[in-house]
Amino acid sequence: MSDSTVSTPKWGSTEMLPLPGRFNGAVRELAAKRFAATGARWKDVVFERQFDLFSLADARAVEQEALDSGYRFDFSATVSLESEPDKYKRPDREATSFAAGSSADGRKQVGVGDNVIRKSATVTGPVALISKIEQVMGYLADGIPEGTIAVIDDSGGTLTAPIIEGFAGVICLGGTVRSHLGILAREYDVPTLMNCKIDTLSDGDVVEIEVTAAPPAADAYETGDTGHARIWLIGNEG
Amino acid sequence: MAELNYRSLLETNSYLRNLSDTTYWLCITRTVQESKLFPMNPYMLLSYLNSFYRLPTLLREIDAATPAEELGDRAREVSLKVDTVNAAWGMPAFYLIGREMLMNWGLLRPGDAVEDVVDVLDFSRRFNLAYHRNDGHITNKEFGDRSQFLPERTLQVFEADLHGVKPGDRLHAAATKLVAQLSQYAFLAHCECRIGLHNSGPYNFGENRQLVVRDFFELTEGDYPWLDGIATRLPFANLTIPIVFSDTNFHLMDDWASFEAEPSYDAANIAAVGLYTSDALSDGYIPVGMDNAETLAETMEQYREILNEATADLWKRIATWTREQMIDAGALVYSSVGKDFAHLAGTYRQEDWLSLDDRVQRFKPLMNDEYGRDNLGEMVGLLGFPHQKTNEYGMARYSGLNQNMLTGIPYSVLTDDDFAPTVGDRLSGSSSLPAKNGLWTTTAGRIDLDEYNQRAKGFTPAVLRGANRYRDEEWVKWHHGSPAADELYRLAQRGSRNLEGRGSSLRRADLPANGASDADR
Repeated sequence: MSDSTVSTPKWGSTEMLPLPGRFNGAVRELAAKRFAATGARWKDVVFERQFDLFSLADARAVEQEALDSGYRFDFSATVSLESEPDKYKRPDREATSFAAGSSADGRKQVGVGDNVIRKSATVTGPVALISKIEQVMGYLADGIPEGTIAVIDDSGGTLTAPIIEGFAGVICLGGTVRSHLGILAREYDVPTLMNCKIDTLSDGDVVEIEVTAAPPAADAYETGDTGHARIWLIGNEG
Repeated sequence: MAELNYRSLLETNSYLRNLSDTTYWLCITRTVQESKLFPMNPYMLLSYLNSFYRLPTLLREIDAATPAEELGDRAREVSLKVDTVNAAWGMPAFYLIGREMLMNWGLLRPGDAVEDVVDVLDFSRRFNLAYHRNDGHITNKEFGDRSQFLPERTLQVFEADLHGVKPGDRLHAAATKLVAQLSQYAFLAHCECRIGLHNSGPYNFGENRQLVVRDFFELTEGDYPWLDGIATRLPFANLTIPIVFSDTNFHLMDDWASFEAEPSYDAANIAAVGLYTSDALSDGYIPVGMDNAETLAETMEQYREILNEATADLWKRIATWTREQMIDAGALVYSSVGKDFAHLAGTYRQEDWLSLDDRVQRFKPLMNDEYGRDNLGEMVGLLGFPHQKTNEYGMARYSGLNQNMLTGIPYSVLTDDDFAPTVGDRLSGSSSLPAKNGLWTTTAGRIDLDEYNQRAKGFTPAVLRGANRYRDEEWVKWHHGSPAADELYRLAQRGSRNLEGRGSSLRRADLPANGASDADR
């Protein structure tokens, strides 16, 4: 059956990110091959024979091909890494995204972020790096040490849902002031910096967060004018 | 059912392009949402597909029982979960994003499902026109990121009855803490997404004050199976907290029902608060604990304590879920953003809205966290799908680039015939979550689904019965003080502490003991 529709759209190129390019390209190629093999008109295949075009087994094969090539996926939810450890890269806690800056008055700038609520004074305290359900369970059982500043690489609020109001401050390594955690920080009035870039921090490091900084302007995430609140390393309680 | 002609396609494509631009703006002002607890991006992608396959069939049944414009009338009168973020923006956006995914995979062409696209967007447009009838715009974005759908008769009751507060008051503390707890809990109950929260306004309350109406939905047993047995001491599923702020300008209330203010949101600027509930069975807003400031503070403290306990209970339940259960729950929360239309129409079935379609299940093995994150970012941020590019002269709104998030329907469907007009109406699906066993919490009590549907089918709020439906504020302008106008206003004044029976002629200066400016009343 003749088909005048071309499979590559005019003006298009390929996806910019590698895994979407790989997976989507594989699905497109398979679907085109399967359709050609039907010899039928598109309208008789697209829904009526949709499982012939692409099936659960096909999806499994696309994933397996990537895994067989040695590819391992980034994880975001801890449940993904824990339930399918062979599919995911191990977390790399040592990666830094901020080059430590100037030292003055015994303190060194170790990061920047976007302030959610402008306060009258900075907040200082020991940091706790939180990324696992078990840690939250522990805080639920034992309570949160006074003055703790949580370092959370989760711009959502649900991982720390039952304990968020117990922190003296929050350093969030993602999101924006409009993200869920930003919204919750505002509601609970917890001094919080979002979208933070930090040098390596360890549990017990005492930091000062500049929650006296102005929050980003309404168009800051379009213009890129972000990262004006500073984080300083004061010392280590450990 | 869709009427396919040049006019209907022009209207559909115009609506689609506006939604595309607005959604792009909303997305680029956030980073890609991630959560350590929920695999959010994978579940979001699956939810879009679920919407694409199921929504047309479900909306056609609803529309036949209760037309979309009537549903918009309902949503304009009280706080319902079919609101700005869920129904006005999310429902059509999720449906169309699912279409983009399938098109990018080569499993759909832009002319396919054309009848579905036209029907879904026609429903959506009619709902939005009625929902936004009082401000005359179709989206918050079109209105300059503002949301003013409530009529004067309701706002007057709020202004007269809200209790004034000052920082340090028992009620100020109780309200601030309850709002925080509600926000936290609503995010958790909705698998990290924002659709359990809603904000509207601002409304001018005079003396440099603005009212923002804050809503929290589905707080205890209802459609979500994971809320069975959670927060059952809470008597209502939905709570509305109107808040008056002093010296704060809410300059943005976007189509995700999020706000920004100058100076930024600060509880110290809260001047007055109230508490109400409403749902598909309520005849207007019902005041909750509004008799006096002490009773309201006590009620808020009690609800806060219930929800604090519920947050821990629910968090522990969710923490035991498998990855697939988390993905199914999140996908179903997202793809069911329009489910309360079915509650309003009395057509709700659990398997319609809380099942992941078989046609969607086949894509699950693709949905690892990285693909979820990057494919979503590619599709709604970078607009990097090959087919999202337009000709090289193009400059889209907001980005200035030759790319659009959502793909229009080619007008050639009017002359070509090699496309399939609908995905079909045979729905088959499943979920890895435990089945729902609990009751539904409504303003008519805790009832089973049959009773809920039965009650909904026979119910029209009094302010929408007969001629009342068409008595808008242009009519009130010329008929205030008439028996018909007084009767209309008295319906909204039922249960009001200060305005019961006062009728339609009141202006701000006439309001008895303006609660929003007098903490002691």
